[in-house]
Amino acid sequence: MPSLTVIVQLGLVVAVFVMLMLSSAVMVYAERKVAAFIQQREGPNRVGPKGLFQPFADVIKLMFKEELRPGGADTVLFLLAPVISATAAFAAFAVVPFGAATTFFGLLPEPIKLQVADVNVAVLVVFAITSMSVYGIVLAGWSSNSKYSLLGGLRSASQMISYELSYGLALASVLVIANSLSLTDIVNHQSGYWLGFIPKWFVVVQPVGFLIFMISGVAETNRAPFDFPEAEQELVAGYHTEYSSMAFAMFFLAEYINMVTVSAVATDLFLGGWHGPFLPESLGWIWFLVKISALLFFYIWMRWTLPRYRYDQLMQFGWKILLPLAVLNLLVTAAGVILLGA
Amino acid sequence: MGLELPVFYVFAAVAVAASALVIGQRSPIYSVMLLIVSFAALAGLYILLDAPFVAVIQIIIYAGAILVLFLFVVMLLNAPKEASGPRPRLAPGPRRAGVVLAAVFAGELVWAVWRTAMAHEPVTAGVPARAVESVHRIGQVLYTDYAFPFEVTSLLIIVAMVGAVVLAKRHV
Repeated sequence: MPSLTVIVQLGLVVAVFVMLMLSSAVMVYAERKVAAFIQQREGPNRVGPKGLFQPFADVIKLMFKEELRPGGADTVLFLLAPVISATAAFAAFAVVPFGAATTFFGLLPEPIKLQVADVNVAVLVVFAITSMSVYGIVLAGWSSNSKYSLLGGLRSASQMISYELSYGLALASVLVIANSLSLTDIVNHQSGYWLGFIPKWFVVVQPVGFLIFMISGVAETNRAPFDFPEAEQELVAGYHTEYSSMAFAMFFLAEYINMVTVSAVATDLFLGGWHGPFLPESLGWIWFLVKISALLFFYIWMRWTLPRYRYDQLMQFGWKILLPLAVLNLLVTAAGVILLGA
Repeated sequence: MGLELPVFYVFAAVAVAASALVIGQRSPIYSVMLLIVSFAALAGLYILLDAPFVAVIQIIIYAGAILVLFLFVVMLLNAPKEASGPRPRLAPGPRRAGVVLAAVFAGELVWAVWRTAMAHEPVTAGVPARAVESVHRIGQVLYTDYAFPFEVTSLLIIVAMVGAVVLAKRHV
């Protein structure tokens, strides 16, 4: 029955949208709590039990703030920039699978895939949409008509271009092994075990690739220690200095959703997606959540542990160390695949 | 199937309109943004042609990388809006050269469209029609039949890169 499929599909779209919104709320809370833990503080503890409703209080506060626009700002682009950022962040997750096909304990007549759109070039679609998100930041920086914003936007543009190359090459080395561009195929390629106990995750055969992917992922999402576009001490708040109210909230949302997307893609590519021991295939999404949460915790942990790099060091590292390493990794991987006939 | 034609016209109209607006803009930033819209519409056309790989590559390379560099340069130079009013006329020499180039380009365009319109079968340039669909086939064709143009292009890019470095080094 096509109508049921359509309804289920639409439901899936809405569910993923709501989940991403909620995930950013959880991330805001987690970030503040983990930061507090690392700095031996309490963290948010006034709104709701253990401060659990703090993110919602934050959103309500932002909604009621005045929308400011600097004089001389380019109105169209100033308003468009946060929209581009948030849209790109949401859109990228559409092709990410987060669980095996399931019937929800027999509720549905036929199994559906836990993925909004199954595109056979999914990996590249994620990459393409992520590469579009830089426009939000660059345009925000330019249209604000403020020197701090402009510097933040320019830094972001050069940073994202530099790290996108290594990001793409790390992706390519996985594609060479999996011999497919579909994320679902790549995840299914990682089921099973070597010698009975080592999971067949690509991180085992691609440790260098995983490292490169995560480092460039952090740089792509502008998180510490690579958060130059918004380096507070030098640039006030970088590209979103002049933004307030919900426009600011949209940049904030985009940043957290991008982190979730990078972690989800890393899980699919390197950590075996929804495959894991003890749980049946239909509950694989629990494994997926666990793996994503671990990566996201790592993100926060890193932010509150490592100081920010210096800008020229970031560029040097990207072009002179990370990129050659990524090329070498791809070459070795390709040679290995040919020699071993995998 | 019936949906394909209207979708084609929407993408085609967006691509043409955006491209026309690119030259019509006085602000370079808006030109770059409209060029992105035009490229996105082109990517839509590629998807209609059953070539999702080419479409995604179009977005990654052109919209995602090259135009970011364009935007970067425009912002870095802080290129001002062109002044309104009558545009300054070119000197007669460059104008003549421009007319000749435009005529040649127009002729080429007419010839290309004419050839396609006259063809009884889809123009495939010797590549099987389904080839664009699969990444494997694109790779194979690229490194066998089209190896020479491919290598020449990479040589050209290296020359351009070395040239850019030489030009930039002079001022450092």
